[in-house]
Amino acid sequence: MTVKGDLHIEVTTGNHAVSHGVRLARAEVISAYPITPQTQVVELLSQFCEEGLLKARFIKVESEHSAMAALVGAASTGARTFTATSAQGLALMHEMLHWAAGARLPIVMANVNRAMGAPWSVWTDQNDSLSQRDTGWLQIYCESNQEVLDTVLQSFKLAETVRLPVMLILDAFVLSHTAEPVEIPDPEDADRFLPPYRPGLRLDPSDPHAFNGLTTPDSYMEFRVAMQESMIQALEVAKSVDQEFAAIFGRSYGIIEAYRCDDAELMVITSSTVTSTAREVIDRLRDEGRRVGLLKIRLFRPFPAEELRRLCAGAAKLAVIDRNIGFGVGGIFAQEVRAALYNHLVVPVYGFIAGLGGRDITPETILEIVQWAETNEPADSIWIGVKR
Amino acid sequence: MTENRSASKSGLTGVAVSTGSMTFNHTGSWRFLRPEMTEKLAPCRRRCPAGTDIPRVLGFVAENRLREAWQTILQTNPLPAVCGRVCYAPCETECTRAQLDEGLSVQSIERLIGEQALGFDPPDPPPRREERVAIIGSGPAGLSCAYFLAGCGVCVTVFEAESVLGGMLRIGIPGYRLPRSILEGEIERISRMGVEFLTNCRIGLDLDIEGLQKEFDAVFVATGAHRSRRIPIPIDSDPRIMSGLTFLRHVNIGDAPSVGRRVVVIGGGNTALDAARASLRLGAEVTVYYRRGRDQMPAHPSEIEEARAEGVAFRFLQSPVAAHAGPTAVEAEFINMELGPLDESGRARPVPVPGSNHVVEADTLIVAVGEQPDLDFYYPFPGVFLGGDAASGPSTVVDAIASGRGAATEILTLLGIDGVVRARKSRPGVVFVKEGLQFAYFPSAPRVQSPVLPVRNRLGGFAEVVATIPHDSAVREAARCISCGVCNSCGECWAYCPDGAILPVEGGYSIDLDYCKGCGICAAECPRDVIRLVEEES
Amino acid sequence: MNPVSIESLPEEELMTPGHLGCQGCGAALGMRHVLKALGEKTIIVLPACCWSIIAGPFPYSAVKVPVLHTAFETAASTACGVRAALDVQHDRETTVLAWAGDGGTFDIGLQALSGVAERNENILYVCYDNEAYMNTGIQRSSATPSGAWTTTTPGRKEHPKKDIMQIMAAHRIPYAATASVAYPEDLFRKVRKARSIQGTRFIQLLTPCPPGWKIAAELSVRLARLAVLSRVFPLYEIEEGSRYTLSAVENPEPVTEYLKAQGRFHNLTSADFAAFQEEVDRSWARLRSLAADWEAQKA
Repeated sequence: MTVKGDLHIEVTTGNHAVSHGVRLARAEVISAYPITPQTQVVELLSQFCEEGLLKARFIKVESEHSAMAALVGAASTGARTFTATSAQGLALMHEMLHWAAGARLPIVMANVNRAMGAPWSVWTDQNDSLSQRDTGWLQIYCESNQEVLDTVLQSFKLAETVRLPVMLILDAFVLSHTAEPVEIPDPEDADRFLPPYRPGLRLDPSDPHAFNGLTTPDSYMEFRVAMQESMIQALEVAKSVDQEFAAIFGRSYGIIEAYRCDDAELMVITSSTVTSTAREVIDRLRDEGRRVGLLKIRLFRPFPAEELRRLCAGAAKLAVIDRNIGFGVGGIFAQEVRAALYNHLVVPVYGFIAGLGGRDITPETILEIVQWAETNEPADSIWIGVKR
Repeated sequence: MTENRSASKSGLTGVAVSTGSMTFNHTGSWRFLRPEMTEKLAPCRRRCPAGTDIPRVLGFVAENRLREAWQTILQTNPLPAVCGRVCYAPCETECTRAQLDEGLSVQSIERLIGEQALGFDPPDPPPRREERVAIIGSGPAGLSCAYFLAGCGVCVTVFEAESVLGGMLRIGIPGYRLPRSILEGEIERISRMGVEFLTNCRIGLDLDIEGLQKEFDAVFVATGAHRSRRIPIPIDSDPRIMSGLTFLRHVNIGDAPSVGRRVVVIGGGNTALDAARASLRLGAEVTVYYRRGRDQMPAHPSEIEEARAEGVAFRFLQSPVAAHAGPTAVEAEFINMELGPLDESGRARPVPVPGSNHVVEADTLIVAVGEQPDLDFYYPFPGVFLGGDAASGPSTVVDAIASGRGAATEILTLLGIDGVVRARKSRPGVVFVKEGLQFAYFPSAPRVQSPVLPVRNRLGGFAEVVATIPHDSAVREAARCISCGVCNSCGECWAYCPDGAILPVEGGYSIDLDYCKGCGICAAECPRDVIRLVEEES
Repeated sequence: MNPVSIESLPEEELMTPGHLGCQGCGAALGMRHVLKALGEKTIIVLPACCWSIIAGPFPYSAVKVPVLHTAFETAASTACGVRAALDVQHDRETTVLAWAGDGGTFDIGLQALSGVAERNENILYVCYDNEAYMNTGIQRSSATPSGAWTTTTPGRKEHPKKDIMQIMAAHRIPYAATASVAYPEDLFRKVRKARSIQGTRFIQLLTPCPPGWKIAAELSVRLARLAVLSRVFPLYEIEEGSRYTLSAVENPEPVTEYLKAQGRFHNLTSADFAAFQEEVDRSWARLRSLAADWEAQKA
């Protein structure tokens, strides 16, 4: 592991960490529409473009739908592309998310998790991104501003390798508007990690092809097979990309992280910034000698099922914290975890739903969850912190 | 899922990307109706006695391809430079274009083609054959027959009674309508095809039919209509009183008589008017006396108009009663007529007004009341054919040309020679009707006007009255042709085919039936009604 | 309007035979001529529309230039993305053609089109206007003229056709024009002119649809012409949103000639014809006055 030159640390918000990542990735076409709490991402990118720090065409579209459509056009023409959005904006893009993935375009998007209206909310929860679970996008949930920046660079490499779009996700306000010290990588290192992108197959008058034309029942299914295979392949690619990143920058995140899980009887499963809070609670409980550990799911799509099973093989109970709700079922991560275990492991999975619409998830919340799991029979959906 | 079938279908990328063209898809199988290119008979060609393919001629001219235009005319008419001047252009009478603005000036274009073609080399004749044909008379019928026979390799000898060639073209038509050089040019070309011309050989005097019939494999009699009709009234025999044709013959061979100051012409036909206008040019004051009204005159309206413009006076409803050779003048007695009921020719019959007799004095009296063939020498005989005015009575130049070609066709058939003139065979059987026409395609454009010699410059001699139109005007005028029923490669069918199923090919367009879906747009849009739809057989 | 002379049209075909357009398809004819004018340095962005089918199924294509099939409402936005990518690749030569139907333009794609036009994105947008959702089986769009039958206006459509050209003019884009497949030379000239201009260029191309208009296939070009000659579909250009040039139509055909030739207008009464004529006359007068203003300014 080598680190070249002087460390360049900036105290920066999650949103600006995204912008720096995009600058270092040398995105060529950016297309975005303002929405709280994502807006600062594109504000800083606009400034980078204005100042010439980023030589990209920034298309200031009139809607998120058009933002994604423009990127479909640009990526089909072989450009490295980026956008950012939140909540309603992401929902408006929905149709084009399918299109981008089905067209196998390595678009990278930052989604700042924000609760879906109605009623209106601007604070964080994961229902916006999880609603896009089956669009064929990779999803990476980030815990810190450093991870956000690093994940932007990793996402481009990952997307361009497996030819599928990648959505990296950060919590509204908790990350997006909260400043932390972030090491800004050296552009040369970034270039070394992420070389220029120019696919051979693209819209090119000297080699004319039609893309995404009508497929009959005789041919459609094979494209879905190919997408699924690429998704599965992405599990390994994500790991190797993370390792390559580590080799240059000295940081790695894995696709799922086990924290103090050795001999743990109860494992708490988290994503995003809830993880950081949980780390503290786990540390405290370990100090008390309780056998609890933490699993952070970073890569949600493709779902790292095998890795999850390996890590939780010795656990007696799993407590999944969902900052989202699949209405009529329960927390979505909990469903995914149960599905991953089924046919392989018999471990009780407790599903906890907390922190919707930006309600705080404090160490006490997590303690309550741990205690609930330790003392109760398994339950599918346990609401935590609800006012009755 | 175990088998990666995506690799074979879409390559490694999994992208739905095209690798082939839709041309594999032969949409011709969708078709119920099939477009067919079927040419139709244009009204101009239908009215042309020679059957000249006028739309195609004009099409070539519009593309500035005069040689091809000329060769197209030659298929039916060997004398375009002559017809371009003296034909009465029946082709122009039913021109479809007249319904849009003005009809085409076909004749002025033909004239330009013929004139330019005098400088062209004639087509190489085929090898000479053994068969020999005698043609009596070098008028338009004889020349036409000679041309078509020589074109098939037949040895042709033309016998001409006069000392000059051309028959009525030479001795009947004044030089101001048909300059000698033009006629000679056309005859020269026929001569270069190997046709032998013998002048001063009068049938019945210098030769006889039996002799020719023995010496030649066939004989074509085209002696014209040179015998002037007589009026059944007392007319003195006097050098100052002569027939129209006799007068014109003298004028046209350069032996013009002295006509004095006052010339009276009796008659209303083309010969009468030619005589009148020739007399003007000899310095006389000329009055034409005609027994019916102006509208009944058989002369071509353009001739009447030009004569009037040049100063010929007309007296209508004047019937001659007698002509006496007085000591100082010819005294022609007329009676006034008035129009009565229609006669069998559909014209109002003139009826004398009793007591209206009056005498007109003239220095020369020209009687031109029609001509007829003189066939005293002729009797039907195997291998002997009769044609031109000699067969039909006085008719037009183009009728004579058509007759000559018809005779050539019959003679070739008789002689068993392949290469019968094909023009008539290629004539489309379906007549063009204007309902099929889309005027939207044709911008309004005025008809070309031929330059005309001012009257003050005409009368000093026999200079040509009407001039040839400039080359570029002819091209422009030809481009006005609608080309009724005849594909002129305008390309509208190609331009409007939504399926790219009409292909440009050499000389036109073809329909690609592999892809034609049979929508019928080409048929609906063809500005000339060439394309029709026929039902596909199941 | 001058009649056709096809001498200026290139022989090269960039649309192939074998495509899946119906018999007499105006949209296929339109594409053929637009591609003739644009040449092979063209990328087509194709939203959901008849041409999604006409272009042929995977793995085939009926055009010899690149095509990007995209979602219904995204012709303009996708095209501006293609343009942006070409820009960063320093390709200034290729024309990006957004080729959308009237539904994709007047209705569902209007927002994206407005965005592109407002930003003056450097694309050529051709709306092939067949005056209804034809691909889905003849449903009314806001481009359907009043009085027309469609499957969703089984009686007749009440509201008049949206004036898309006024909308485009309001964006003050450098070039907007109407064209008809009956006048391929005029279309060719306008596409060539559009190709030479930077910024958003818009062409509304009238492309009759025989099944949708309830006309015989062979009449589609004739009706495209009659639409112009009756002044129902005037041919004009608008530069910078204000400079109007109108192709004259002397002695216009009465609109009844145009309407009665189409089965979709079978419900109209003589009073409707009169009202239609009045509306056409009013629109024409407006255009003529705008064109006269520009004439006067030039003088």
